[in-house]
Amino acid sequence: MERLKIRVVGHSGYGGLLSTGSIIAKALERLGFYVVADREYPSLIKGGTSCFTINASRESINSLSARPDILVAIDKPCLVKYFDTLNDGGTLVYGYERLSGITKILEEAVARNINVAHLNGREITHEAGGSERMKNVVLIGMLWKVLGLPYETIADQVKTQFAHKPNIIPPNLKCVKIGYERTETQFNTALPKDIPEMAFMDGNYALALGTIHAGVRAYYAYPMSPSTHLLTHMANHAKEFGYVVKQAEDEITVANLALGSMHAGTRALCATSGGGFDLMTETVSLSGMIETPFVCCLFQRPGPATGLPTWTGQGDLNLAIYSGHGEFARMVIAASDPTDHFELIQHALNFAEEFQMPVIFLSDKVSAEQYVSIPPLQQNTIPIKRGLVDKKDLGTLKNTDRYKITDSGLSKRWLPGESDAYYFANGDEHNAEGILDEEESAGDMYAKRLRKLDFAAKSMPEPVVYGHHQEADISFVGWGSTKGPIIDAIKEAERQGLKVNYLHFSFMWPLKTETLNKFFKENSNVHLAEGNYTGQLGNLIEQQTQNRFKGRLLKWNGRPFFTEDLETYINENK
Amino acid sequence: MTNPKLKALVDAQKIYNDYTLRDDNINWWCGGCGNYPIQNALKRALALQGLERRDVMFCFDVGCSGNGSDKIEANTIHGLHGRVLPLAAGFKIGNHKMQVIAEAGDGATFSEGISHLAHAVRNDYPVLFILHDNQNYALTTGQPSALTPKCQSMSAAPEGLQIEPFHPLEVVLGLKPSFVAQTCSADIDHMTETIQNGLKHKGFAFINVLQACPTYNKFITHEWYLEHIQRLPEAHDPTDMESARKYAFSSDPFYLGQIYHNPERQNFLETVAHRDENSETLINEVAHQDISKLLAKL
Repeated sequence: MERLKIRVVGHSGYGGLLSTGSIIAKALERLGFYVVADREYPSLIKGGTSCFTINASRESINSLSARPDILVAIDKPCLVKYFDTLNDGGTLVYGYERLSGITKILEEAVARNINVAHLNGREITHEAGGSERMKNVVLIGMLWKVLGLPYETIADQVKTQFAHKPNIIPPNLKCVKIGYERTETQFNTALPKDIPEMAFMDGNYALALGTIHAGVRAYYAYPMSPSTHLLTHMANHAKEFGYVVKQAEDEITVANLALGSMHAGTRALCATSGGGFDLMTETVSLSGMIETPFVCCLFQRPGPATGLPTWTGQGDLNLAIYSGHGEFARMVIAASDPTDHFELIQHALNFAEEFQMPVIFLSDKVSAEQYVSIPPLQQNTIPIKRGLVDKKDLGTLKNTDRYKITDSGLSKRWLPGESDAYYFANGDEHNAEGILDEEESAGDMYAKRLRKLDFAAKSMPEPVVYGHHQEADISFVGWGSTKGPIIDAIKEAERQGLKVNYLHFSFMWPLKTETLNKFFKENSNVHLAEGNYTGQLGNLIEQQTQNRFKGRLLKWNGRPFFTEDLETYINENK
Repeated sequence: MTNPKLKALVDAQKIYNDYTLRDDNINWWCGGCGNYPIQNALKRALALQGLERRDVMFCFDVGCSGNGSDKIEANTIHGLHGRVLPLAAGFKIGNHKMQVIAEAGDGATFSEGISHLAHAVRNDYPVLFILHDNQNYALTTGQPSALTPKCQSMSAAPEGLQIEPFHPLEVVLGLKPSFVAQTCSADIDHMTETIQNGLKHKGFAFINVLQACPTYNKFITHEWYLEHIQRLPEAHDPTDMESARKYAFSSDPFYLGQIYHNPERQNFLETVAHRDENSETLINEVAHQDISKLLAKL
């Protein structure tokens, strides 16, 4: 697939890395390209090397390449650090005025057939009447010309980007223009034929939109990467939509506030990452016991303890499935792309309320923060299901209806105060109305709660097959953020005459096995792809079914799966 | 019924009876435990305030006091040890039209739950909090709590702890509270009146109930308390923090009554600028929100 592969590198918090990447990505999107963009950055505010990788294509793409064809370096340390990632025959765009420390790199560029586009960025900012901070905008103009793309698009995007600071627009435009005019075109970039209707966003914002749309009226959180952006988005829109946002003193409080609000009968949501979720797990257990709905978003990042706070991983599937003391029913859902975040959170809230159990919604750093071109989000496609007793039946309820033992395990739920019937939501083992029960019969209530798991499983969708349905040369099973790179790999393999398919799990727990068994039956070379060391989904599948993986593609260094990872693995294992 | 006073009493009696356990032939606390009169006073206060079963949510911590969660005929939730305050606050945020009452012991509140207490006071969540202050962990058989007096021999501390305890009122008064009162399980009338005042307060009402624990705190019985408690003098102005501190820190006698009150303070719900007490409850707002404007900006 023809793919523009651009990487902008610069210090975190200095030099305008974020705005540079954002201007380029959005301008490409305006031209009708499908764009994927993600930022890699260290866990500090100012300093440290970071990069903004942008891939664009005239066809839909869902993942990034590890190696760019164009490297745009805002400063020298980042040029030195990232130069090796640039493909041979690619182009280096930089504006550093001296040679000290980069002579070797320039020699190597010649040896590796790398074109160098260089202007003195600092001088140009003076010439343009701007400040030296605008060096990055010169680079944007240079890049745009290297790509051979129309000047007007990038100029418009620069205007849009700085619309809130009108006085700096003219010098910025001059910088971009000079950069553009004094650079040679290196790529014959074919423009998309038409501009498809698309939205360009990250998972976090899509999740905020889904949460607001689904009628969540109270959002609770304690800041923790990579869940913090959700808190920011929810807080920014609170006034407009009238809901409550509370940043609490710790995650234990967050979970209890959410559970309390859910028990009252509104929709509440909370989010955190692994360490914060550890603190919440006692409350998850309480939700399981009193059968009060609870939804928590668990944004994964790699490693135990503080780990790699700003990097990605899929190491918390086991945590989501097994956390909390005692045995109780819960559901686990995992999102991959922004569309998933928007839709699956609505399902998560519905499932929690319908089946009166905790639902853990998994995401990860790359799913949450990677920008992707997606079809426009559709409202009102997922009805709100609350699983509450109909208002007209509130007068006929008995206290014992609340936790009545049933075949499905599901009992009637109504809100405290809306009926004369009342109940004890008791964290101690209890009878049908919630009274403490320590008799042998207490086991019946224990079993009732767990029966809900089988009942809920019937409503859960099966995993979805992408690509060829059977007899593929190589097949993958995965979940969450592995979806994007594998779908892209399927298309790429097709071009080479290979048949690749992929079984994607969004609904992780309880594990659905029908489609899974069929997939293994119809494909003989099935591999696991997962962003962790132990292969948690793979182990779960091998424990619960007779199916066995031929091999495992695992990654745990904080980086997402790139297109190259899949290509190499497919070539070695097809 | 023509006599309005009599009618009010009859109505109150009905509410009281509604809250009273169907089967009162079972004992669930030790004989002489302060929890019995506390629960009695709570029911009386609710009855006198005309707060019926459907108007009130009771939130219980874990411990002897928490074991009251299914011993009052009402909507209750029995949560996690130390965590009752955020649970209760979450409920109140969800449905601010119900009166929310939280109860917990000193073990939970001043150890696992102390950060929740501090932030509940800071946020002024509109919750009535009854602290069952029996100065020990009773349900785990009498270990010292953070409020147990120094050197008092307890289970797991045969020589007693050599550490100074917290003074509950000193802790709370240091947090700029809006309502602090002290009462005692030996005085049902005073507890009733204090809880009534707490129910009328619009923010976080902290009521310290000096509670007898006849099993593990043998020396501090109801009889002992009766000799060591005294009502606050009329001259005390509860809006005066200096005076509040003076009476709060006395332990002989313990002063009962409204130690401190700041009726002007904004409670948590009032601090949410885009909502007010006339707003619909959040429970009645769960519906698809139209996000067209946000989608259009993408």
